[in-house]
Amino acid sequence: MIRFLAAAALVALVAPAAAQRLAADVDCKPTNHDLVYDCRIALREAKSGTPVSGADVSVGADMPSMPMAHNVKPVKAKPGAAPGEYEARIELEMFGEWALRLDVRGPVRDVIVKKLGFREAR
Amino acid sequence: MLADLAQNTLDGLMLGSAYALLALGFTLIFGVLRRANLAYGPAIMLGAYCATWVNLSFRPGLFVLALVTIAGATLAGAYVERLCFAPHGRRTLSRDAAAIASMVGSFALWMQLEELATLWLPKHLYGFPPLYDGPQFAVGPLLVRVEYVAILVCAAAASYGLHCLLRRTRFGLAVRAVVDEPEAASLAGIDVPRVFLLVFALASALGGLAGYLIVAAHEQVTPMLGMWSTLKGMIAMMLGGLGSLPGAVIGGLALGLIESYSQSLFGPQYRDLIAYLVLFALLAARPAGLWAILARKPARAA
Amino acid sequence: MDEYALGVLINMGLFSFLALSAYLLLIAGEMSFGQQAFFGVGAYAAGIGTAMWGLPLPVAALGAMVLGATAAWLVGLPTLRLRGLYFAMATLAAAEMFRIAFELVRWQRDVDGEPVGPDGTQGFRGIRWVLEQGIEQAGYAAIVFALLAIVLAALFVAERSRLGATIRMVGEDAELAAVLGVNVQRVKLGVAAVAGALAALGGALYAHHNTYIEPRNFDIMLGVHSLAYGLIGGLGTALGPLAGVAIDIGLLESTRAFQGYRMIVFGGLVAALLIVRPRGLLDETVVNRIAGRLRHRRAR
Repeated sequence: MIRFLAAAALVALVAPAAAQRLAADVDCKPTNHDLVYDCRIALREAKSGTPVSGADVSVGADMPSMPMAHNVKPVKAKPGAAPGEYEARIELEMFGEWALRLDVRGPVRDVIVKKLGFREAR
Repeated sequence: MLADLAQNTLDGLMLGSAYALLALGFTLIFGVLRRANLAYGPAIMLGAYCATWVNLSFRPGLFVLALVTIAGATLAGAYVERLCFAPHGRRTLSRDAAAIASMVGSFALWMQLEELATLWLPKHLYGFPPLYDGPQFAVGPLLVRVEYVAILVCAAAASYGLHCLLRRTRFGLAVRAVVDEPEAASLAGIDVPRVFLLVFALASALGGLAGYLIVAAHEQVTPMLGMWSTLKGMIAMMLGGLGSLPGAVIGGLALGLIESYSQSLFGPQYRDLIAYLVLFALLAARPAGLWAILARKPARAA
Repeated sequence: MDEYALGVLINMGLFSFLALSAYLLLIAGEMSFGQQAFFGVGAYAAGIGTAMWGLPLPVAALGAMVLGATAAWLVGLPTLRLRGLYFAMATLAAAEMFRIAFELVRWQRDVDGEPVGPDGTQGFRGIRWVLEQGIEQAGYAAIVFALLAIVLAALFVAERSRLGATIRMVGEDAELAAVLGVNVQRVKLGVAAVAGALAALGGALYAHHNTYIEPRNFDIMLGVHSLAYGLIGGLGTALGPLAGVAIDIGLLESTRAFQGYRMIVFGGLVAALLIVRPRGLLDETVVNRIAGRLRHRRAR
């Protein structure tokens, strides 16, 4: 048991990237399919504002009410046109307010949560 | 100042009559079957969604929509009864264990019915034809909303109707017998499971009526209707007195008044907080409810 | 194991704390719709500890557990003499009051030039202790499950002891227990406090896994679910509520074919299951039978 914990601690310590405060702007546009959205993410360092390129960004989503109640598999974002921009297509389960979770790995490690309301097209 | 108080009282009573209607249905099930039905609100929501769909496709009149809501809620309620309440009879389980099994089953169907409804009509908000489309009228300085007067009238009629049903018909006699002594009633030849099913259907129909009136008064239907209805029904029932029909009405009206006063005094954020605080305090001090306090019954915690 | 699967496992672990919290009160004879309040208290307390005051997570989590136990004790004091739906509604009312309190509290501190702290309905973001320590999903999963294992071990030991028997006796027949000299109120309050601490621990771990919490996370749905897990999985053993969690979240993940219909399947399955096993999967009779068979085999 102790050996297992020690191994886990070692694994935890061998972290690939240093955590750094990032900020992001997320803009999601509806597509032709219901509940499928194309999101554009602008990632930058929180303090300096420099865009962060070449990061490994995963976009997941969950609803604030009853966490883990939905089955939205995270998608890897592809790099976009400008530096620090990424694009991802997400598929939600229902309309309403969702908390998008941007899991950023390499070169910097951070998790950004952005709440967005997804309303049906009128 | 006095006009404000009067307006708040009036608004509270109107709001409360909607809660009273919801509470009547919930209390009927709890009072007769002695079990909580957590799928009560979702069954109502399904009825309201049926009416919404009918409205989107055919645009019929109010009466048809009301009937569709009631029918939908009743059918959903019967489904819940068959799957979660009827199978857990008193023969193999103790009364408490049966009640818990039914409640958990109704929780499962709550989830199921809600998902069914939102899969069917996935939008976050649907418009609903209004109950009353004309001008509101004023009685002196007081504004009276016609649709809420309609709810008040319906709640009063439903209460009176239930009272007559229970006190003046054979069916009502059977129901009261089952409430008092289920084993004896069964031995006397009353078909207890059938009584349960009919009571459940009646309660769901009442819920459906409440649901229709509420969505028509608000002119909208949202997926929140399910849990909201169950919650308000349960709170009103507990405020008034567990399992008592006069208590349900009193509890509903009281809840409406509490919400109305709290909102006007402290703002909408505190409205629910104060309602819950009152409920908590009441349960801690006098769990038998307001009706018992008014009728001076002894306190009973279980 | 990919990151997503790890995330699912971690969530199962976190909800197990909540489910065990409700389970403890259930075997003491009380049905609580409100354990999510202490989950929330733990989440906010630990978040404030690490993000606003720079405490390490173990210290913040311990503080969160103490707060959770205290809050549960305070809620239980006026209500634990109630039974059945009365107690359930009282806990529901209390939990909703906590949630609304979370919506009203706005307390932020400047950390590194940015405001950090609970911001009412906007939630509490930036709980980044786990990220700053460089702990990855796998490491965090190990921490969560190690703690869960410790809790389970403690529960198993307690079940076999006199304390466990006393608690179950209070749950089965409080009057009989009282006649036999058990201070029912004190036992129930103790159980409530431990349950509160357990839920708070889960909440603390949840806050640090998500890095963002908001009042809506701790609503009635969460509470009713955690109660249901124990009632579906069975109250015979602490593994019962874990079975409930596994069925719910496991079903969600394994049946990708049912995507979007998960609740319809889950709801129907549970209702059907209850017809066959009204006391849950691993109820007392089943557990006793299994224990008996194990004992018989060992005696051979």
